Amino acid sequence: MGAIIRCRGVEKIYRQGAVDVPALRGIDLDIESGDFATLAGPSGSGKTTLLSLIGGLDRPTAGEISVDGEPIVKMEKNRLADLRLHKIGFVFQAYSLIPVLSAAENVEFILRLLDLPMHEREARCKEVLREVGLEGLEKRRPSRLSGGQQQRVAVARALGPKPAIVLADEPTANLDSKNAEELIALMAHLNATSGITFLIATHDSRVMAHSRRRIEMMDGKITADERQDATVAA
Amino acid sequence: MLVALAWRNLWRTPRRTLLSLLSIALVVAVLVFMLSFQLSVYAAMKQNTLKIFDGYAQFQPKGYISDPALDRTIAHAETLARDAVAINGVTEAAPRVDAFAILANGQRSYGAAVIGVDPERESKISSIAAMIHMGRYLGPADTDAAILGDVLARNLALSVGQKVTLLGAARDGSVAADVLRVVGLYHSGIPDLDRSILEMPLSRAQGTFAMTGRANTIALGGPSLGAVNDALPALEALGLQHGVSIVDWSTMEPAMRDAIALDISIGALLYLTLVVVVAFIILNTLLMSVLERTREFGTLLAVGMRPSLIGQMVWIELLGLALVGCAIGFVVGAGITLKLEHYGIVFSGVSEIFARFGLPPRIYPALTPASALIGPGAILLSIALGGIVPYVRVVRLTAASAMRAT
Repeated sequence: MGAIIRCRGVEKIYRQGAVDVPALRGIDLDIESGDFATLAGPSGSGKTTLLSLIGGLDRPTAGEISVDGEPIVKMEKNRLADLRLHKIGFVFQAYSLIPVLSAAENVEFILRLLDLPMHEREARCKEVLREVGLEGLEKRRPSRLSGGQQQRVAVARALGPKPAIVLADEPTANLDSKNAEELIALMAHLNATSGITFLIATHDSRVMAHSRRRIEMMDGKITADERQDATVAA
Repeated sequence: MLVALAWRNLWRTPRRTLLSLLSIALVVAVLVFMLSFQLSVYAAMKQNTLKIFDGYAQFQPKGYISDPALDRTIAHAETLARDAVAINGVTEAAPRVDAFAILANGQRSYGAAVIGVDPERESKISSIAAMIHMGRYLGPADTDAAILGDVLARNLALSVGQKVTLLGAARDGSVAADVLRVVGLYHSGIPDLDRSILEMPLSRAQGTFAMTGRANTIALGGPSLGAVNDALPALEALGLQHGVSIVDWSTMEPAMRDAIALDISIGALLYLTLVVVVAFIILNTLLMSVLERTREFGTLLAVGMRPSLIGQMVWIELLGLALVGCAIGFVVGAGITLKLEHYGIVFSGVSEIFARFGLPPRIYPALTPASALIGPGAILLSIALGGIVPYVRVVRLTAASAMRAT
């Protein structure tokens, strides 16, 4: 399978007052299509920064990133938004749902941005909500859903447009262990059945246990990149 | 989609939204009512002042307005008057001789304007006939009759039934002299008018002042001032054919025109302040709401919504708030105006002051397209334009920085 994400010499330096703080120092990384990979490492190691750069939420100070073969570093703002809409699904630690929309509307909202006809939207919306186990809760607003249910809505929203990759930033951090395990199982199941690529930044050992590839980060560098069958020193 | 989302966003904080709606509605209601009232006052001022004597417009010889000399005349006055009433919006045309003479009664003498009028047509244009408080107005059969203001009559020690002598210069330079019998005295409440005008039959005045077939002015009347104003282009064309000018109300009454213009300027400044204040309040509220939702906007950017689309959503929220507020304010303001349009507003104790400005003691505010739309339009426009600020703020957001916002 080809690389869906390709990072070459990616650096990110944040300026805090007069001080330059390097967050990423020369990252080279390929994520293959169908991967279920985790980015692990302590706080401040650069996991979230790398995820932001791969998702086009921020721009690197140096280096090249391409998503599904498209270089994104110098991509114009609107094209970048379109690329995220079509190819990248996001799942955040804090669920980040739109509070005034119901579970179904949160999913359908993204599908509307894709200009899908109504019948397709409705069908896709039902399908992904069923996949994440939220049948019967479609009309509930986020405030009337548990944390685990909200995170499932976030996963459904990410899956709605059939993205090439889902980027998840600490998706289990706000969940109790039962909900966390259910969510991990759900993502692993989706990866196994639908072949959706997942790249998950996490501290959670349970998530790492499910992943087929574990990328360790420390001080803005990749220190290890382990697969089920092999360990590659970075 | 954006409209529905924007509408729901507005009701996230119902108290804040209700307060914003209330501010907009209050200002719009005040603007609709005040503008209706103000425009009605102007209309009443113009209507009442012009109805006393001027008429809604006049045909005059060219240059007469700046130099009203007796020898500036309209040659075929009756023909012009007949053609004028054929124009849509003009129902009356009354030729006048506007002369000046010394009026004498015994040892007393005063200078006054001597106006030759056709009683029947004149009474439909000028309200002097209705102001007679002693005696009667001129009639079609009168030949040597005259009516004059009560102040002038008092100055001349004249009363109804007595004779008044007039002595002046005729159009051809000869002496114009006549003796008329006073048949009535009028009281307009306007001192200048009550002490300076004598009216006599038109044909007699034409004879006395060597003006046979001629007139100095032709006063025009119609169903309303607006109707005559609308007919001005046609009247101007007709005037050109006869070599005369058409003079509208603002030229005949420059003092009233300037007073109204000044009042409009002061009012506009006040209304503008109100509009700007309310626009700032609403914008400030929306900017707060934008700041509070920065993280959420970051999420929307992250999931692929274009920045301009998020900006549009915020702008629609603002416009929605303004539209609903304006609608409520309009209903309230128009409702109050329509109610008072029926009953009027009485300003007790100031009727004399009002009379000086040609105003009746009871004012009836009238809802017009202008008074109904200017206020809400100004609020909508200012809020819509002000909405550029939150729009730009949102469009400039980057997903990463927005999601880091606290």
